[in-house]
Amino acid sequence: MNHSHLDHDAVSRRGFFQLTLGWLAGAFAAAATGAAGVRFLVPNVLFEPGQRFKAGKPDDYPDGSITFLEDERVFLVRHGNTFRCLSSVCTHLGCTVNRTSNGYHCPCHGSVFNNQGNVVSGPAPRALNWFMVTLSKDNRLLVDKGQDVSEEKYLVI
Amino acid sequence: MNAPLPKRIWLWFTKTRVGRSIFRVGLPESNLERSQAMVSSFLLHVQPAKVNRHALRASYSLGLGLISLYLFFILIGTGVLLMFYYVPSTAQAYDVMKDLQFVVSAGMVVRNMHRWAAHLMVLFVMLHMCRVFYTGAYKAPREFNWVLGVGLFLLTLGLSFTGYLLPWDQLAFWAITVGTNIAGYAPFVGPKLKFLLLGGNIVGQDALTRFYALHVIVLPMIAGLMVSIHLWRVRKDGGLSRPDEQLGDEIATIPLNQLPTNKSYGLMELARGTTPQVGHNPEDEVFSWPHLIFREILLFLLVTAVVLFLAVFWNAPLEEFANPIHPPNPAKAPWYFLGLQELVSYSAFWGGVVVPGLLVTVLVMLPYIDRNRVGVGRWFARERVVANTIFSVCVVVAIVLTIIGTSFRGPNWGWVEPWQNPPTITEGH
Repeated sequence: MNHSHLDHDAVSRRGFFQLTLGWLAGAFAAAATGAAGVRFLVPNVLFEPGQRFKAGKPDDYPDGSITFLEDERVFLVRHGNTFRCLSSVCTHLGCTVNRTSNGYHCPCHGSVFNNQGNVVSGPAPRALNWFMVTLSKDNRLLVDKGQDVSEEKYLVI
Repeated sequence: MNAPLPKRIWLWFTKTRVGRSIFRVGLPESNLERSQAMVSSFLLHVQPAKVNRHALRASYSLGLGLISLYLFFILIGTGVLLMFYYVPSTAQAYDVMKDLQFVVSAGMVVRNMHRWAAHLMVLFVMLHMCRVFYTGAYKAPREFNWVLGVGLFLLTLGLSFTGYLLPWDQLAFWAITVGTNIAGYAPFVGPKLKFLLLGGNIVGQDALTRFYALHVIVLPMIAGLMVSIHLWRVRKDGGLSRPDEQLGDEIATIPLNQLPTNKSYGLMELARGTTPQVGHNPEDEVFSWPHLIFREILLFLLVTAVVLFLAVFWNAPLEEFANPIHPPNPAKAPWYFLGLQELVSYSAFWGGVVVPGLLVTVLVMLPYIDRNRVGVGRWFARERVVANTIFSVCVVVAIVLTIIGTSFRGPNWGWVEPWQNPPTITEGH
């Protein structure tokens, strides 16, 4: 058989453009399809409970109390005339922590937090979140779980 | 004729015009007909007409792969039945579980069979992997089938995990909360992956819808396809691994354009690599009908009987309705993830991401790392003592971690000894 290797290896200008354009078009189509597919799966609207909620009147909470608000998974902490709000969602794997005599305790993997929400022991990688507390116009406590604040930030009334 | 009545009916039917149009070959009487029966039936032609004696030795394969396949069949059958009642809604899913137990005829048995077959499938896929490792069966030319097997192992876990959420009870809700949070620790893509998986930030209706779609169509389709390729490759790679087999991948590697041209070729001469018959000695071969088929049917009946037995006597658990506020104490993942959860209780990133990630990577690359080609087809071959020891250590560590997570972890993930009463925890808010 007459092997003409040279002819096989050489690429003509037209062949080069056809090949490049073909592959580019194919790659673009695949990337666009993939991107649209992933984007389709990312929801644009969430039907989840809102991040902001009203926690009632300040006087509902006695001085020195730490109140667990079940539906919102937060602790409302009152000290004198200061108010703060601590997340009860463990920073380890999302379980709800329980209040103990001197801090918080996660039942899932045993993380222990102190009164400031800082990690004392266990696998939790960081402290519990403190949320922004403000006062609404109708004198209700307004908590925004979308807004983290430092543990030293209080609402003073 | 002294044959029993069903056989006589069968013999008569297969000789009628209609019967012959369906079955072509009746009940085979000669070796030729046995081969024809295997080749002419859609369901049987997947398998070879003749099979090596070694492949039939139960003490070699232990039938673990077949058992996994049969469990998969049972899961499809019972799963489809469950779909006739199940509603993927957070408001209704739990009620359906109760209906299955108290209202639907045989509903609890079907759900139990699905549950136990799922647990058993995870177990037997793991055992199958151990068998393949200890017999060196992942070596050339079967490297890629091992990789497919690792993929099937992960799919099995994925199927199990997605199914875990569907009853929408406390067990389901918290196992998925913990599991998806572990996924959130993955580097770079973690939080996005978690959001995509849940279809939101919390385990809610969107998460249930997504897990349902994954559980009943996406993952089973992929698994079904991969099982088919896995089985097809068992044949194409020369059947089950044996000690005396010739390593055939050196055959027919002459480039096409260098073949002499003064000769015409049959397809089998040009096809690269090992044909199914390479290294097969006729004396070692027996007819698949009845030797293989009989064993397969027997094993299928056995597996079904065991699953049915478990389903009749032990109910699948159902805890209280999912409550996002009160995690059960301790909240535990399914048993096969409890070794992982034990690691996660030390560090979510190292235990939940790095260790499993590394493990999967090594498993996938194993046949390409271990290129030592001796010790194939024998259990615990002397030549493979190093590989076997490393693997055994990993297996033992995994088992110990799983046992600790299952039996030695009580409230607050504290250490308890299973033979003692668990300490009572006072919880205050």
